[in-house]
Amino acid sequence: MTTSEGGTTGAKPKGIDPRGPRFGATITAVLLLVTVFLGLVFVPGSGATLAERVSNPAFVLLVVITLLFAWGAFAGIQRHPYGQIFRVLVRPRLDAPAHLEDPRPPTFAQLIGFIVSTVGVVLGILGVPFGLVVAAAFAFIAAFLNSVFGYCLGCQIYLLLVRAGVFRGGASSLAVE
Amino acid sequence: MDPIGALAVVLALVAVGTVCGVLWRWRVGRAREVNSGKVITEEQIGQRFAEKVTLVQFSTEYCTYCPATRSVLSQLAAEYQGVKHVEIDVTNDQSLANAFKVLQTPTTLLVLSSGQIRARFGGPPRRAELAETLAQLIDSAH
Repeated sequence: MTTSEGGTTGAKPKGIDPRGPRFGATITAVLLLVTVFLGLVFVPGSGATLAERVSNPAFVLLVVITLLFAWGAFAGIQRHPYGQIFRVLVRPRLDAPAHLEDPRPPTFAQLIGFIVSTVGVVLGILGVPFGLVVAAAFAFIAAFLNSVFGYCLGCQIYLLLVRAGVFRGGASSLAVE
Repeated sequence: MDPIGALAVVLALVAVGTVCGVLWRWRVGRAREVNSGKVITEEQIGQRFAEKVTLVQFSTEYCTYCPATRSVLSQLAAEYQGVKHVEIDVTNDQSLANAFKVLQTPTTLLVLSSGQIRARFGGPPRRAELAETLAQLIDSAH
């Protein structure tokens, strides 16, 4: 069975188990919640140097989360490390999924996560008070809704963009008009 | 902030997320009665209407719950005489989606043979509510 590359060949990509992204969202939600907690406990003082801000535990964790989002956004959700963990450890213990999901919307959702957490990282570098915490909190809400309620905010945004004509829908590749 | 305070904020965040999620779940898939007299045409759905009620499902290519909804609707259609299920892909049809204010997919319309829309379900419809609404419409369609 061959897997087509996410959107580049122009063919509709192979469906994925919809529980995979939700599993990833669960891990992400927990990490983001820890980020918020750390960001509230270890607040860089107003006179903190750049080095102090960058070595802040919440900042470091958010950078890691940002990199993970980037991995999912640019390599595709199927190649995300959580996706691999799901495939190897979790999926074999579950029944086959009732339906498969198009991987493009959850991949785009990773991009949304990447953007929001990058904003948090930038705010952390700039030393905007609680900027990092607020960004992480927003990202947490989205990850939490996905993990617990199966609601994918990024997927909804993707759909709206397709309908707005920003992405071409149908069997064609993911091209920005 | 001290750890207890931080923990309180974290719990409040989880509570906010939970409220949002529960609200969304509660609203999804419920029947909305349509009294506006809005009409859909056979031309728009590309098929003849059923004798009694047509279950019109708007889907898009990326819609996670559309296949499951398709199963539910076609099963229901098979159970009742004079009911059929029609699925329309609006991925590339902005005008049709706008005409019927399709903000999410699946969106299901219950349509009489006159083309009149009598109910709509946003998101995956709750089966019991859908079956009940359908039964009521079939009765009143006589």
